[in-house]
Amino acid sequence: MTALLLGALGLTLSLIVPGILANARWPDRAPVAAVVLWQAVTLTAVLAALGVVLAAPEEVTRAAGSGRPVVEAALIGALAVAALIIVRLLVSLIGVSRRSRARRARHRMLVDLLDRAEQHRELGPDNLRVLDGPLPLAYCVPGREPRVVLSHGVLQVLDREQVDAVLAHEQTHLRHRHEVVMESFTAFYRAVPRPLRSRLPLDAVHLLLEMIADDVARRRVGAAPLRAALERLSDAVPLTEDAAADPRGDARRRRLARLGESHTGSVALTVLVTVAAAGLLVLPTVILVVPWLDRALEAWPLS
Amino acid sequence: MLGHMALGDLEREVMTQLWDAGEPLTVRQVHERLSRQRDLAYTTVMTVLDRLAKKGVVTQQKADRAYRYAPAQTREEMTASVMLDALTSSDDQDAALAYFVGRLPPDALAAAIEAARKK
Repeated sequence: MTALLLGALGLTLSLIVPGILANARWPDRAPVAAVVLWQAVTLTAVLAALGVVLAAPEEVTRAAGSGRPVVEAALIGALAVAALIIVRLLVSLIGVSRRSRARRARHRMLVDLLDRAEQHRELGPDNLRVLDGPLPLAYCVPGREPRVVLSHGVLQVLDREQVDAVLAHEQTHLRHRHEVVMESFTAFYRAVPRPLRSRLPLDAVHLLLEMIADDVARRRVGAAPLRAALERLSDAVPLTEDAAADPRGDARRRRLARLGESHTGSVALTVLVTVAAAGLLVLPTVILVVPWLDRALEAWPLS
Repeated sequence: MLGHMALGDLEREVMTQLWDAGEPLTVRQVHERLSRQRDLAYTTVMTVLDRLAKKGVVTQQKADRAYRYAPAQTREEMTASVMLDALTSSDDQDAALAYFVGRLPPDALAAAIEAARKK
């Protein structure tokens, strides 16, 4: 019974909940809590899968009244599969973070060499780099030696206030280590067998992190310059609307819409969602796993 | 040895000299050009060129018993490839960089960079 319930929970969390969560609009009002909820959903799904792997063989052999050698073999098999799942996740995480680090290091080296230092002395931050070229482009390179990169085009289409808004947005990504959050979701995505993979969590969390950076930037410089910067930069990159990751320009519209409202954050919603996330992580363990563990340990065959 | 200048700044200035020259330069030529603005040891310039060659952004060629150095790519080429790298997303690369305007498919971006360059 425990295995069945955990299995149902795991399937619900990995197949049904992501679709609902990705289409919901309330996360726009509590992006930080929404990221926490995505993390809880993903982690609980993994724990449920581990729970099924461990509980199912024990429950089946106990119900069938199997002899000691069968029970032992089932337990060892279950432990091996659980270990395999954990190792696969860890290998994926290490691989993603190693490849990202290497790519960032090379990227940082190149933007340092290409930097037009004379164009941004008065703009401030030491980690800012400006590239030649009229195509407006703004992004950050996270890591231990982070960089914020603007193209010369950005300085041409934005005024000083709007540039400050963009810088505040990018510095937030860097200061809050958003790349670590993205790396963990990417690692999970890659660890899931190909037919079961879904990009929903990856894309949803990416958008939420943008909203979090928007919120910090708006507190620092106001919503108007940030909104103007976002509009001008995405208009200037003419092909954004066709982008595969955001086919209808939805992400951009959602970010602009919340920058148009006077106050977007909701404390009550944030508290509610954070409590839900904690409950999701803790309750299945308390309700399902602990009673099963009690029964299973009584009959522990390897002692 | 480097005085008040950070190594990163020096590397950038050496690259700028090589890009502006338009032809391969010897260590002595690079040293001469940089020395117009400041006091700089010849061996320092040699070290910097060597580091840049090891990073693969500068190529070393031997001509007339002297090594000459040239950028591996023009400034425009290198800028375009950096921008392409920044905006390209794939499963592996999602986590690497964060962007302000959102993601673009690589061929659309290559076209956009090309179009912007011709303007």
